[in-house]
Parts: sequence; structure tokens; C-alpha cells
Amino acid sequence: MGLFVAGMNHRTAPVAVREQLALEEDKLREILREVLAGGGIAEAVIVSTCNRVEVYGVAEVPGEARAVVFRHLCHQRGLDVASVDVFLYTHVDRDAVSHAFRVAASLDSMMIGEPQILGQVKDAFALAQSCETVGPALHSLFTHAFAVAKKVRTETDVGRYAVSVSFAAVELAKKIFDGLSGRTVLLVGAGKMGELAARHLVEQGAFPIYVANRTWSRALEMARALSGTAVPFDELTTALASADIVITSTGAHEPVIRRDMVAGVLHGRRGRPLFFIDIAVPRNVEESVEALEDVYCYDIDDLKQVVDANLRERRREAQRAETLVEREVGKFLARLADADVIPTIVSLRERLESIRLGEVKKTMARLGDAPPETRDAIEALSSAIVNKILHAPITKLRESSRAGHGRSWTELVHELFGLGRQG
Amino acid sequence: MISPTFFTLAVIGYVCATGLALAYLVQRQDLIHRLGSVATLGGWVCHSLALVIRGVEMGRPPLASLPEAVSVAVWVVVLLEMWAERHYGVKVLGAFVLPVAVMLSMSAVGRPLEGPDIDRALSGAWLWVHIGLALIGIAAFVLNFAGAVMYLLQERALKAKRPGTFYYRLPSLETLDRLTYRTLALGFPFLTTGLLLGALWARRVWGSIFAFDPLALFSFVAWAIYAATLAGRAAAGWHGRRAAYFAIIGFAALVLTLGAGFLLPGRHGS
Repeated sequence: MGLFVAGMNHRTAPVAVREQLALEEDKLREILREVLAGGGIAEAVIVSTCNRVEVYGVAEVPGEARAVVFRHLCHQRGLDVASVDVFLYTHVDRDAVSHAFRVAASLDSMMIGEPQILGQVKDAFALAQSCETVGPALHSLFTHAFAVAKKVRTETDVGRYAVSVSFAAVELAKKIFDGLSGRTVLLVGAGKMGELAARHLVEQGAFPIYVANRTWSRALEMARALSGTAVPFDELTTALASADIVITSTGAHEPVIRRDMVAGVLHGRRGRPLFFIDIAVPRNVEESVEALEDVYCYDIDDLKQVVDANLRERRREAQRAETLVEREVGKFLARLADADVIPTIVSLRERLESIRLGEVKKTMARLGDAPPETRDAIEALSSAIVNKILHAPITKLRESSRAGHGRSWTELVHELFGLGRQG
Repeated sequence: MISPTFFTLAVIGYVCATGLALAYLVQRQDLIHRLGSVATLGGWVCHSLALVIRGVEMGRPPLASLPEAVSVAVWVVVLLEMWAERHYGVKVLGAFVLPVAVMLSMSAVGRPLEGPDIDRALSGAWLWVHIGLALIGIAAFVLNFAGAVMYLLQERALKAKRPGTFYYRLPSLETLDRLTYRTLALGFPFLTTGLLLGALWARRVWGSIFAFDPLALFSFVAWAIYAATLAGRAAAGWHGRRAAYFAIIGFAALVLTLGAGFLLPGRHGS
């Protein structure tokens, strides 16, 4: 029996194929049960998202197991197995472990470091658990994978920097302001992107929100949607005086925010920074505004440039994460190998200990009223002999299991010491 | 004498901590930061021991000569750095403060530890208080300087719109500006009181405030710069870039003060 993972992801299969195999929970439940009932597969977890359809499992022959699972999956959609087979990959043993860890840690994602995948994998695991298709092997694989994912998240910056324009704007605001709670946001215009950026700011605690729009009813509507206050468009300058973050997304062809407007309110702000997020094209904020002190002005291209830099930073961090994952794979395999031989070691120890106790008891009985020191000495002597004898075989068992051939050695030890039948 | 050994260990600790802090700036890895913190703390503990031993050996506070005083200033700087790093959550602070601490330590290395003979009659509690207060002030200004440098780097990164190492590693402009303001507000009263005591004492003993002492002259210039910055901040709403430039100019004046103390003959010894 060996660990394997088989499936397709965003790199190996086009979306047209992936979307057909992305199944809902009920169907997955059904398939999980059928697959295990069919025999040949001891444990199974199916991860099915829009970017990957994978089965993690324990089987005697992974190739057959893969065929069985995908036959069931395809059957649900009336697809021909042969048509998806070309998109499938199979990893076994070490590679399977490594793959599971990389997926959970979001290193195999289309957008490296995106946080959703971990939740999706956890859901898939919970689903399989509820179907009772998770055994000890997959249980330890997935719990370890979740721990690795958490470690990658805390020890590297792989998921840290924003990769969307609107989140990049939030991140920039946090580099200017010491926290966003209680910061005043002014939203000028009613574009979708502007609303999204405003929402992100609100989620970070920004408050209050003012909305200005040429159409008063639209301003009211947007203000209601964001739990903010509408301000008349011709009172923009007044609103600027109190704002910390200004998002502009109007369809105007002339700048809405001019340098003289901003310069006029700067003095009264006493150095409070003013951050313009201009996502309109053509731009709503006059270019010369950014030359003013304490004013930071990012247009859509600037934000994209920040996103690009963030992506580079993520890739750099992903390299570090890969090293971390490889180390964890090694640790996991060593533990797994130990688990293989530990029952043998325990029964070997028990066997020798019972022999020792039996012999010590006989000797003690013969000694009669020997002084306690003598009895202690006999105890110590016999224990020492047992431990010395055990040392070499235990070491050998551990070594051999880590080298991948523990099974033959455990069998040998069982034979040699008459440890009973192996489970 | 045991104290030179501990002094050496302290400097080694600070040098290691500086290297690690700079490495952490480039490669954000928690292990590097932790090692750096250990090296800083280790260096500082050795430094404390060295100062205590020296004080006991000499039977007076280890503040009688300029190298000694600089050493104590470094001790306070490192203490403040450890505190501010936690308090402001600026993990890269060490990269900006520790190099200055190491340079200050190095400036004192190889100089005779014994200062000019301080007239027994002149020395007394006032002298130690004068030196001690001035040193705490100077230590706060080292952090003030570091805060200003970080502010300017982050501000430039944000204005240039090209995120680089500093953009990612440094905290927000507001945090940095607050750090700069707080350290100024902390250092200034200490420096003022320290200088005032020195001036009063000088007038009583030598009959003149400056008494042809270059260190005293330069320190007055530095004080004036900091006084102007503080006044500007409190009254005129100075902040950000302008306040940061002033912090750097003030610190330059302090460095000149120290240089004057080391290189030119005067009451503070050379």
C-alpha cells in the first residue's frame, strides 16, 4: 500500500476540461463511497476546485486506483475517460507528499500564495472524513499538510502582498497611515472599481465614508451601499479638507481634483497625509497634485506597477517556501517510517523485558534473604544487559525504515525473536 | 582587569547584531531577526557587566573620560533600540540604529580610558548628573536620527511609486514620524538639563560658560538645532520631511561635537 495523488490542475488541463469535472458535494460523497467499496483503494480524499481535480489516496496499485476514480468522475458527467486521461498526472510516495504540501501551502496555485486553497483542501478532507474514507495515512498526511501551510504563511511572505489593484491601494494606505481605523474616505464618482477599493478600506476600519457624484441620486445610492454620507459635488473642496484617502473614479474628461483645490486645503490639515487613489481613465487628479508635500497620488498605472512588484516579491518568497516544504516532506517521511517500525520495536522490548523479569524473579527466590543492595544490583545488571542487546537492532530497524526497506527487517526481527504474527 | 574582556565581548555582540540586522533588511527571515535580537541582548548584557566592573574598579561612575561617556551613551542607545523595536513594532530598527552604535563604540576604541585629571575639588554629584543626562539625551537623538532616515527612505519610495526593499520592510510614514517626534521630545529635556548643569558648573569654576571648550560650543549648536525643531513641530506644525531633515542636521552637529571632543584640546579631554 502506498500514498499517491492523481489528477489535473490549471497547468495540465484547460478550463473546459476542469469545469466539467468540478463536482458538487453530494456527487463527491457518492464517488468516495463507491471507490472504496470497489476495493483496491484503502483511503481516499477528493479535492475538487475550479483549478484542480485531484484524488489523494492509499492504494496497492496507484495507476489502477487513478483509473477507477476518474472513471467514476467522468461517469457523472458522461465523459469518456480516455479524453481526460492525457491531462492527468500521478505522483507516488515522496512526490505525493510533496505535492500535497505544496497544494495546501498554495505553492501550486495559479496565483501563488492565494489563501482560498487551504480552506478548499480542508473542506475536501472534512468531506472525506464524514464519508469515512480517511484512514491513518491520509489523516497524518493532511494534518501535516495543514501545519506546513500555516508555517509557510507565517514564516514567508508568499501570501502577503496584494496582487489586485484595489488591495494594493489598501496596502499603500497602510504604508502611509498608521492603521486605517477611523480614517476618512472620500469616494468621488461611482465606478465599480472605486466602490471595491472603498469597501476594502471600510473592511480595514476606515470611517466615515463620504460619497460625491455629479448625479445626486447616484451619490445617495452609493452612500447607502457603503453606509456613508453623500456630499454635493460642488462642495468637493470642503470634503477634501477632512479626507485622508480619496478615491476617484468618475468618467470626467477634465481633472476633477485640481492642484489649487488640494493646495488650498493643505495648510489646515497640519501635515496629515492625503492619499489619492485615482482609478479613472482619463485621470481625475491633475498630475501636478502629487508634487505637493504630504500628498501621495497613485493612478491606475502606478497601482499596477505596485502589483507587479508584489508579484515579484511573492515569487521570491515562494522560492523560500519551496525549501521549507521540502524540509517538511523529509520530516514527515522520517516520522512515517518510524511509525512503520515502532510496533516491532515495542514488542521486541516487551519480549526481552518479560524474559528479564521472569529470570530476575527466579533468581531472587533462590537468593532468599539477600541484602537489598544485592537485589538492586541484580535489577540493574539485568536491565543493562537487555538495553545493550536492544540497542543495535533498534538502531538498525530505524535506519532501515528510513532508507525505505523497513518491512523486510521488521519481518526478520519478528522471526528471530518469535514476536508472533505481524499485523 | 576583567572589564576590557567584557567590553570586547559587547562590541563583538553589537557587530554581529549589526550584520544580522542588515541581513534581515534584505532577507526577511524570522530566524535572522531572532539571532540578531539575541546578539543585541548578549552584547548589551556584557556591556552592562563591563560598565559595572569598571565603576567598581575605579570607585566612581564610568563617566569621567570621553571614551567612557561614549560607551555609556552606546549602552543607553542599545537599550532604547530594544525598547523602541518592541514598542513600535519596527523590526528593522536595528539596521538603522546598531551601525551608529557600533561606529560610536569604535570611535572610543584605542583611546586612553583615563580622561583629563578631574580636579578632586571639582568633581561631585553635579558632574555625574551633567554627563549622565546629556548622554541619555544623545542616545535618544541616535534613535531620532534613525527614525528620520527611515522616514525619508519610505517617503521617497512612496513618492517614486516603485516599491523596493524599504517600502516592504519599513512601517508607515505616520509611525516613523511619531517615532522621530517622540525621541526628540524624550531627548531634548535631558540634553537641555545636562547642558544647563554643565554651563552653570563651568561658570562657577572657570567663570565662563564655554570656557574655550570646543565640545561645549558644538553641543550648544546641536542643542539650538533641536530646540528649533521641537519649537517648529510643536508650534508651527512641522512634521514629516522637514522635521526629518532637521533631525539629521541636528545629529550631524552632535557627531561634530563628539569629533571636537576627541580631536581638539578642551576641558572635556582629547
